[in-house]
Amino acid sequence: MEILFRDKSLIPIWNKLLNGERLTFDDGLALFRTNDLISLGKMANWFSYQKSGDAVYFVLNRKIEHTNICVLSCKFCDFAKKKGEPGAYEMTTEEILSKLSSGIREVHITGAMPPDWKWERYLDIVQSINDKFPEIDIKAYTAVEIDFFHKKFKKSIEEILIELKNAGLKTMPGGGAEIFSERVRRLLFNQKIGEKSWLEIHKTAHRLGIPSNATMLYGHIETLEERVKHLIKLREAQDETGGFLTFIPLAFQPGDTGIKPKNNFTSAIDDLKTIAVSRLMLDNFPHIKAYWVMLTEEVAAIALNFGADDIDGTVGEEHIAHDAGAISPMKLAQDRIIKIIKEAGKIAVERDVFYNPLKIYGRNIIGKIPYLNSIPIYHNLKIDSYFTLPLFPHRLGEMMSNGYIDAGLISLVDYLNNKEKLNLSRWCLSSREKVQSVLLFSKYKLEELENKKIGITDETSTSVKLLKVILEKKYKINALFEEFHQPKISFQEFDAVLLIGDNALNKYKAQNPEFNYKFDLAEEWFQWQNLPFVFAVWVERKDLLPNLSDDIIKTVELNIQKNFDELSAIVKQYRFGVKLTDEEIIEYLKGFNYKIGDEELSAIRKFEELIRETK
Amino acid sequence: MNFEEIKYKVINNIRIKPEEGLFLLQKAPILELGELAAFVREVKNPSPYVTFVVDTNPNYTNICTIDCIFCAFYRHPGEEGEYTYSVDELIQKFRESAAMGVTTILLQGGVNPNLSLDYYIELVNRTTKELPDIHPHFFSVSEIVGMAEVSRLSIEEVLRKLWDAGLRTLPGGGAEILSNRIKKKISNKKETADQWLDVMRTAHKIGYKSTATMMYGHIEKDEDIIEHLESLRKLQDETGGFTAFIPWSFKPGNTPLEKIIPHYASSTRYLQIIALSRIYLDNFAHIQASWFSEGKKIGQIALHFGADDFGGTLLEENVHAAANYVSKTNTDEVINLIKEAGFIPAQRTTLYQIIKIFE
Repeated sequence: MEILFRDKSLIPIWNKLLNGERLTFDDGLALFRTNDLISLGKMANWFSYQKSGDAVYFVLNRKIEHTNICVLSCKFCDFAKKKGEPGAYEMTTEEILSKLSSGIREVHITGAMPPDWKWERYLDIVQSINDKFPEIDIKAYTAVEIDFFHKKFKKSIEEILIELKNAGLKTMPGGGAEIFSERVRRLLFNQKIGEKSWLEIHKTAHRLGIPSNATMLYGHIETLEERVKHLIKLREAQDETGGFLTFIPLAFQPGDTGIKPKNNFTSAIDDLKTIAVSRLMLDNFPHIKAYWVMLTEEVAAIALNFGADDIDGTVGEEHIAHDAGAISPMKLAQDRIIKIIKEAGKIAVERDVFYNPLKIYGRNIIGKIPYLNSIPIYHNLKIDSYFTLPLFPHRLGEMMSNGYIDAGLISLVDYLNNKEKLNLSRWCLSSREKVQSVLLFSKYKLEELENKKIGITDETSTSVKLLKVILEKKYKINALFEEFHQPKISFQEFDAVLLIGDNALNKYKAQNPEFNYKFDLAEEWFQWQNLPFVFAVWVERKDLLPNLSDDIIKTVELNIQKNFDELSAIVKQYRFGVKLTDEEIIEYLKGFNYKIGDEELSAIRKFEELIRETK
Repeated sequence: MNFEEIKYKVINNIRIKPEEGLFLLQKAPILELGELAAFVREVKNPSPYVTFVVDTNPNYTNICTIDCIFCAFYRHPGEEGEYTYSVDELIQKFRESAAMGVTTILLQGGVNPNLSLDYYIELVNRTTKELPDIHPHFFSVSEIVGMAEVSRLSIEEVLRKLWDAGLRTLPGGGAEILSNRIKKKISNKKETADQWLDVMRTAHKIGYKSTATMMYGHIEKDEDIIEHLESLRKLQDETGGFTAFIPWSFKPGNTPLEKIIPHYASSTRYLQIIALSRIYLDNFAHIQASWFSEGKKIGQIALHFGADDFGGTLLEENVHAAANYVSKTNTDEVINLIKEAGFIPAQRTTLYQIIKIFE
């Protein structure tokens, strides 16, 4: 992609991005200060494409604010009331349940901090929703509330979070971060927790397997320096835990706060810059959200080309579009969101709370496995009028089987399960001997794993079958398997853990005191079968028009050739999130074979036979 | 055809063809289009200024017999809520506006068959004589056609009489989509696309300047948008009489079209149209960001996508308000919005002469 930079000071920053280098504090500041809005947008949109392809996620959700009665008095807050004050309210669990209905996939619960609620009441909200609507994912209670519970109910942060998780909590919202600056905190919200507690609570949640979001409140009295520092602190926390799902910049709404004149909202330019700079600085965050309720629908729509890959959702009672009578507001909001995403030139993907795709609204989609090993196929792959959607192998298989995706490199098992719908093409991802990115980390030798508990990443489709085949057929072992969600930091509860893709690569490089052994499954297979192992294959839907299919095949062929010729230049861009040197990346990629030959076909047949015989 | 070829042409100031315009509208990513439009804007108008006019937009009557299905403003003669201001009442309104610093009055109405040509002539005459600081920017094409029908004069005769009374510019409303097929569907009784262009041609030949508009986001196809831009570009080649192009999106609230079009076009679509028109209308000096119809925030962003003018301060406006779409602002706010967007605000006349710069 070419950028006609009008602000030349952005060029070195762009070069850093192309070289996979992390941006510095000064870079962040320069990005905020530029007036070259389009160049900034192009950089952020490019970066977002590396992460999410053409996808923009949305969720059918409902926001519940269970009470506005608050013991705090934050200057910027226009919401809180004191008990007995006109307009103060508290919702019962029944009232909350009555706001929900099937069709909703996520509920977002936050509220003020009332003086007299019991701990059980908070747990009951989560538990009751979970009992009555098991399909609704619960995202509840900001770090500020968690800290309030901790102090009020004399329980540790861990205890609070574990009890909530057991009641059905899936993720934590990102509110209450405001801006990480002691100066601003003292002036505007001195009763609220500061950055240290906020970050600690989120990191604790991550360690307990509760992913969360992060926010930044901007457009009040904070400086640009404070904004960049905020982003860097979040980036550091994410390096530690990997537990943040999405970052949501929140534009300050002056209202009656007295901090700014009532109608002095942030400018659209500031909104778009903040989205774009966040995308570029937070290189380790999977998603950036344009929260339309705060940004306005119109600015959120534009933000989808400035680095945001999520537009939140239907939210519920908030009004996204005018009322057209007969159609339900939820349906109308959903239609409107899909229209906005399509007109932004992206594909609308309905998600759950963890960003798993549920439905795709759009056609002409190429699926992509978002691992380093697929870059020789996918780097710069531009097929006319096609969109790209990166998904973990397991999800990609589901979406392919549901007919949402036309072609792509998919996990072998997903091809085998959908053979009647898919044509095998001429490319694959296979390896002989070591693969380095499909690894079992274990406290025991393979032959000692009988009845041991093995954690399985929920990303995989094929590797988990390969592991089962190896244990059962090669070692005659029956182990217990338990799926876990990425990102996961601690594997204490498992005797062994199966990791794949870039997570496996990174753990391969890291010190792993908790596991004495690591097994490369491709190597295990090779020593056993003397065949390569085929992890993924390029397929196309059988009902694809022949000319489209030809187009795709030709483009992919040329692209692989070109990418291999320029491999050393290309890999630099993909260093984000991978703890390997350029040379190690090249070495790793050269270990794969991308063409299907006779040996690969035999390997596929052999594996198919073996899984048929496996329990 | 591919984007790179079209980009090369645009950067080298080679006129693009209709099919290339269509390609840009349908296939170019929005930021590529915006970047190219910003480039053209800088070549054509390298100043850091974004201009605006201090104006007001009253409506002298809401009586109209044309029944456009996209309009929520009009009333039929005799219907409840109808109104028509007398010339005296209007002059009084204008006087009040002038006292508030207004320099341009953008005056349009319904097409009211009960008003004689004398009413319009008198209005222009008195405005120019009694309020020398006010520039009358009066009457869209539909009203000119209505005047010709009522007075049984030709379009040219009507335009000459108005010119003699002191009118020098015409607002570009009523163009909607310049495709006879579309205009027949959404405004059957209005002038056709060809008539609209003919009235403007006649006006420009007399010496009038005018703006041109486009209302998209209803039942038109992409091809119709290109046809619209192509017609304007051709006429501009012929007359040079257009000062600026102003696109806006259809707002369905309270209109009969609402049932067919429940969702108005998104803001991305608006930026695409702004950028495309900047690129396609290579003979137009100015592209206006319509903060009024698209919202202040989108107006700001449009300035980075090829627009170089922020339109008017519109102290009074009724048509969009009737569709429940209200966006009020004033001069200070317009100045602030332009500054926030990273440009220098400059107040202009109706004819785009800069009269004051707000550094």
